Amino acid sequence: MADARVTGAIRYSQDIRADGMLHARFVRSPVAHARILSIDASAVPEGVVVLRPEDVADLGRYGPQIKDQEALPQRRVRYAGDVVCAVAAETPEAADESVNLVEVEYKEIPAVFDERAALASDAPLVHEHIHLSKDDAAYFGIRPQQGTNTCHLFRLRHGDVEAGFEAADAVVEETYRTAGAAHAPMEPNAAVARWDGDRLEVTTGTQTPFNMRTDLAGLFGIAEEKVRIISPPMGGAFGAKTFVRTEAIAAALARKAEKPVKVVLGRDEMWMTLNRHPATVRVKIGARSDGTLVACDIECLANTGAYADCGPGVAQKMGFAAPGPYRIANVRVDSRAVYTNLPPNGAFRGYGQMQSTWARERTMDLLAEKLDIDPLDLRMKNILEDGDTYCTGETMHDVHFKELLQNAADAVRWSGRREGKGLCVMLKGMQTPSRASIAVEDNADGTYTVRCATAEMGQGAKKVMRMLAAEMLGVDVEKISCPDPDTDVVPYDTRTTSSRSTHMMNRALKVAVADLKENGKRGYGEVVDGGGLDPDTGQGVASSHWHQGAAAAEVEVDEKTGKFSVVRLHAPIYAGRVINRPAAELQNEGSMIMGLGTALFESNEFADGQITNANLSDYNVPAMDDMPDTLSHELVEREGGEVQGLGETALPPVPPAIGNALYSLGIHVTELPISPERVLDAVDARDDRDETPAMAGAHPVSADGHGGDGDESGERIFAGTPDGPVRTQKGSDREAAGILTEAKRLATSEPSKLFFGTLGVGLVPIIVVWLYRRSRGSEKS
Amino acid sequence: MKVAFTVNGQAVEVEARPEEMLLGVLRRELDLTSVRQTCGVGVCGACTALLDGEPISTCILLAPLAEGCEITTVEGLGGNHPVQEAFVEAQAFQCGYCTPGMILTAKRLLEEDAHPSDEKIKTYMGGNLCRCGCYAKIEDAVHLAVGSSVSGAAGSRSTGRETSRGGM
Repeated sequence: MADARVTGAIRYSQDIRADGMLHARFVRSPVAHARILSIDASAVPEGVVVLRPEDVADLGRYGPQIKDQEALPQRRVRYAGDVVCAVAAETPEAADESVNLVEVEYKEIPAVFDERAALASDAPLVHEHIHLSKDDAAYFGIRPQQGTNTCHLFRLRHGDVEAGFEAADAVVEETYRTAGAAHAPMEPNAAVARWDGDRLEVTTGTQTPFNMRTDLAGLFGIAEEKVRIISPPMGGAFGAKTFVRTEAIAAALARKAEKPVKVVLGRDEMWMTLNRHPATVRVKIGARSDGTLVACDIECLANTGAYADCGPGVAQKMGFAAPGPYRIANVRVDSRAVYTNLPPNGAFRGYGQMQSTWARERTMDLLAEKLDIDPLDLRMKNILEDGDTYCTGETMHDVHFKELLQNAADAVRWSGRREGKGLCVMLKGMQTPSRASIAVEDNADGTYTVRCATAEMGQGAKKVMRMLAAEMLGVDVEKISCPDPDTDVVPYDTRTTSSRSTHMMNRALKVAVADLKENGKRGYGEVVDGGGLDPDTGQGVASSHWHQGAAAAEVEVDEKTGKFSVVRLHAPIYAGRVINRPAAELQNEGSMIMGLGTALFESNEFADGQITNANLSDYNVPAMDDMPDTLSHELVEREGGEVQGLGETALPPVPPAIGNALYSLGIHVTELPISPERVLDAVDARDDRDETPAMAGAHPVSADGHGGDGDESGERIFAGTPDGPVRTQKGSDREAAGILTEAKRLATSEPSKLFFGTLGVGLVPIIVVWLYRRSRGSEKS
Repeated sequence: MKVAFTVNGQAVEVEARPEEMLLGVLRRELDLTSVRQTCGVGVCGACTALLDGEPISTCILLAPLAEGCEITTVEGLGGNHPVQEAFVEAQAFQCGYCTPGMILTAKRLLEEDAHPSDEKIKTYMGGNLCRCGCYAKIEDAVHLAVGSSVSGAAGSRSTGRETSRGGM
């Protein structure tokens, strides 16, 4: 039988129907922070169910790590897109019409969108009280700073950082910013909720069926066993389908309607549901003149938006891996998850590693330049090897960074003359502690059924479980089935995230198969990895197994326009032992391509907290014709190697490799994505530095370690300081590009930065890009 | 209103609202779920069907405009079409959500150009997005599908892509 993906027969949660089901639509707040004064739904036709805040006033709160969400906000909206009330009608069209008939009155209150601004002592508070969750997703010590917008502060302390910097011959410091991004799975989130008496059943494409069960049970005040979650295959997820998204509202609507209710998010609503954390990361590194790293001080701010979701976990992971795979005697990291009035930000492929890897690996190249050491040599001199101790105090095993980095360098024919080439090496933790269990049943007809909560989102989870079971049972893979996760049937598992499932389930399955062989009909296996970090010192076991990756990029830049192309991109990752090779290759290539989008153009744009590019025309994801001339990768295996997770590892190293390739040409870009406008700015800044010796102080690399911040030096150009007029004398092509940059800045947060040009002129290139995408998209029609 | 057209070789007459797009009608009235709601603005290709042989975005085509037309969705290819087999052989998918649109677009490409260059494939398929990022293997699949015999064409392809170097 042909694969259901090529015949179209595969059924996603989009395709689920239930008898008598209603279709839901949401009324969303257009303002970012406001009190709800009134909701008038009197114009909604009879027969359409309207769910209002008072209908859910009896419910508790939900949230995987911090209980900060209500099924519907009772008094106050916290972001533009927050759901105020919901309707359910017999057809999607009737629901659409009804949503437009609901009138809501708001009283706006001050809002904050930037993670740095949110830390100011007079910043509006997004949540007055921060209540921790007791769910298993809150698996680490969360340290909210009550009375501030910091919902988690993770600290890592290793050695004596001040003494380390004193002993350094060279210190570099820089601040970086990365944009928020959309997961943009091709399938928008969809769910069907229904009640059978006091039992709730939700069919929803979710990576986290058991966390969903716990959170919904808590919200409705019922036993976990009264909630059943079924997770059909997902049309992509990448973190977007973790924890409770639309399901709480769907379940509350179904409760009121006494009928099944289906929710399918519109594409624009995906941006109002969950995104990747925008982040600001400051990195300071000190080294001796021979290149030995002696101190590292890093501060991370993860903008988690209006609701924490798993932002505390993202900030913690962003923080503990921020120092990178290097031996550094003295390390200090402060990493915060910060509330703002943006839509919630949560799990996204890479889980915070991209943001801190971008910052650190770019800084390593600044340091290499200052020390006049080859960036490859600088990394190699300090890189972690087997048996070394990481700054968390844990001993590193099965370490392959050196080999990965060398392979990356070889792929771009790295040499002393490295113009246009850049490198990156990184590590990423797997969720620790973590628990997985699995059951295998002998169907007594030569076939076996594997039951586990590992969800299929395109990564090939089912296939790999079947292959592993077939190998262990000594039967053909066709004899093994692996049904969709159903919390009524499958044993408990933490969740399908963190590139943990293949690794953890392989180990659990070994136990289950041994149990089956002993007991005959059914075998059960469970593995629990202990560990975890002290959140105040960052000491302990950060990861029971580390994901290891590297990348190399080669770029060609048109310095007149700022346009550049990535001509070669290579990412070697450590794969231990590969089970399903095509799937592993696809995961690696897919990670790289998503990393390419992050590096080059993906950016959520906001105006007064409202998302302004919530569609796949204005928000570009990589298409086939965006591929580099050569995109290649490696799955580095080892004889007897452990099965490794590899669903994310190749994403984070891509943007820094590209950023460093530009830096080899003197083009220092601190913000992602690396738009042509930012390249132009950096080219101008370089040329200004080269032409004006007095401007050397503006260079981010400074002897005292307190050099200019990238943003600030950018501001100097635009703020009308003596450098300002230089820009207006450039060619008209540059002006247009500069105005576009300014329009974008205006659209984000700081209108005062609009220095010259008009928004109207700025729109021209936007429209040109849009038309280009349209024409490309419609070429076939 | 009633709209009559042929879908996958069968004449049908379905109920549709005048302002409705073809995508919703195919899914609701005919349970053809291989056409998929994704971008809603005709830029991602996940809702692709062939209208009189040409790939179109059904999310932006008014259903009444399909009156009298011949529509093909991937359900109509059976399962053993050379392009489908090439996609399986190349393992050119992950989640599978964009795959029907990719297959139909590739089918039309190969009808237009029996031996497309890498550049042509990238440009032609550029209007179909795959967020899983299977582009390298999709390109492989198109090369594999060149000619009527899927396996027979395998040796003739040449691409600039390097395959992974596994094994230590």
